[in-house]
Amino acid sequence: MKKTNVVLIYFVVSVFLAALPAFGTPSPTEQLKPTLDKLVTILGDQELQGDEKKRERRQKIMSTIAERFDFQEMSKRVLGSPWRDINEEQKKYFTELMTKLLENNYIGQLENYSGQKIEYVGERIKDDKAQVSTLIENNGAIYPVHYIMSQEGERWLVYDINIEGVSLVRNYRAEFKSIIRKDKYEGLVKILEEKNKSFE
Amino acid sequence: MKNIFILLFCWCFFSAAPVVAVQVEELGNPSSPDLLGADLLEDEYEDFAFEDKEFEDIYDPLEPLNRVFFQFNDKLYFWVLKPVKTGYSYIVPAELRECFGNFFNNLAAPIRLINNLLQGRFNDAGIVLSRFFINTTIGVYGLADVALQEFNLEPRLADFGQTLGVYGLGEGVYICWPIFGPSNIRDTVGAVGDTFASPIIYVNMTNTESVLYYSANRINFLSLSPDLYEDLKKYSLDPYVATRQSFYDFRRNVIKKAKREETDF
Repeated sequence: MKKTNVVLIYFVVSVFLAALPAFGTPSPTEQLKPTLDKLVTILGDQELQGDEKKRERRQKIMSTIAERFDFQEMSKRVLGSPWRDINEEQKKYFTELMTKLLENNYIGQLENYSGQKIEYVGERIKDDKAQVSTLIENNGAIYPVHYIMSQEGERWLVYDINIEGVSLVRNYRAEFKSIIRKDKYEGLVKILEEKNKSFE
Repeated sequence: MKNIFILLFCWCFFSAAPVVAVQVEELGNPSSPDLLGADLLEDEYEDFAFEDKEFEDIYDPLEPLNRVFFQFNDKLYFWVLKPVKTGYSYIVPAELRECFGNFFNNLAAPIRLINNLLQGRFNDAGIVLSRFFINTTIGVYGLADVALQEFNLEPRLADFGQTLGVYGLGEGVYICWPIFGPSNIRDTVGAVGDTFASPIIYVNMTNTESVLYYSANRINFLSLSPDLYEDLKKYSLDPYVATRQSFYDFRRNVIKKAKREETDF
């Protein structure tokens, strides 16, 4: 075999190998898009409008979000260093509380905007982290929303949402930190429980 | 020059002021030039350890006093601004309110022009200038944003607090001003500086006229923005900390973006 051919084959094979993961797993955007599309469909669904359908609508939204959001990762990041000091049971309970809070927050924001159009304007991947940038249009105004995701095996899961530099996780983390300093972890749990009750 | 304090008052309409409403101004604009936020990932998401370093750089020794002012602003919003805003929105149609908003924005063009230049964003400065001329002439004194609708020229925001940040000046102490809302030493200096670039300061107005002008501006601005403050209050456990964090995140992002948009030669 000629030397150039060896080089050529080597080149072709390595390019193919390098491209393989891209064929294997759908990109973060490809994974996020169906979830957001589904959310928009639920929000725009005429049969699910109105207050009496609120529970059913929320149920559907929540199960859709749960497919793509990593609530445990969010909880861990939100709590910061105290996460290491609490036991498994506490971690589980804290994640439950956080899930409820984040769902209410995200759904509340979504429900403000009906018939929204989402445009995917960019994606950046760095190792096992990715950032999917979207533009949401509502009543003529356009809002840039970045979804921050991490890779779990084949799946890309959202663990933070960033709007104009303001990060959802970082914001809660700052609040929690100031509460823990005053009232310890137990106090934080109590405040979280009360907050979640206020949404019911 | 006696108008300077009233002009400071005006700053709450444009800059850091209405709690977090400032975000709306930025958000409300069609796509800002760099939406990908080129270094969002590196800065904030790369290596998560259990380190809390990132919060310790918000310096808030005045917290007890700031919290009092924060409460004051909260009452101001719910007891005064919100009812007035609601009534105003009911009486004046949205299209007209948008025209007024465009008019106020257009008048603030010199602030954006000077700061874009100071930040070395010459392309953006050119766009600010084109927008101003198009909107003042074809847009009839800035009432219509023709530059955006017909020429696809998007707004290029810039303020003096941002300029100082681009130059590397630190934020200093966090201050939650009564009426004006979240700020810090640097952005307060920036706001005072910006009033000198506002053409309004050179118009001979009585104090009453100035207050009227700025109140109208603020109410009009609020009437066009979503209720960000109410949302923030609803979903946060400590609205004071949430506001402070949002303000710093937002301002740091604005400065980061400005640095990226410096024109290269």
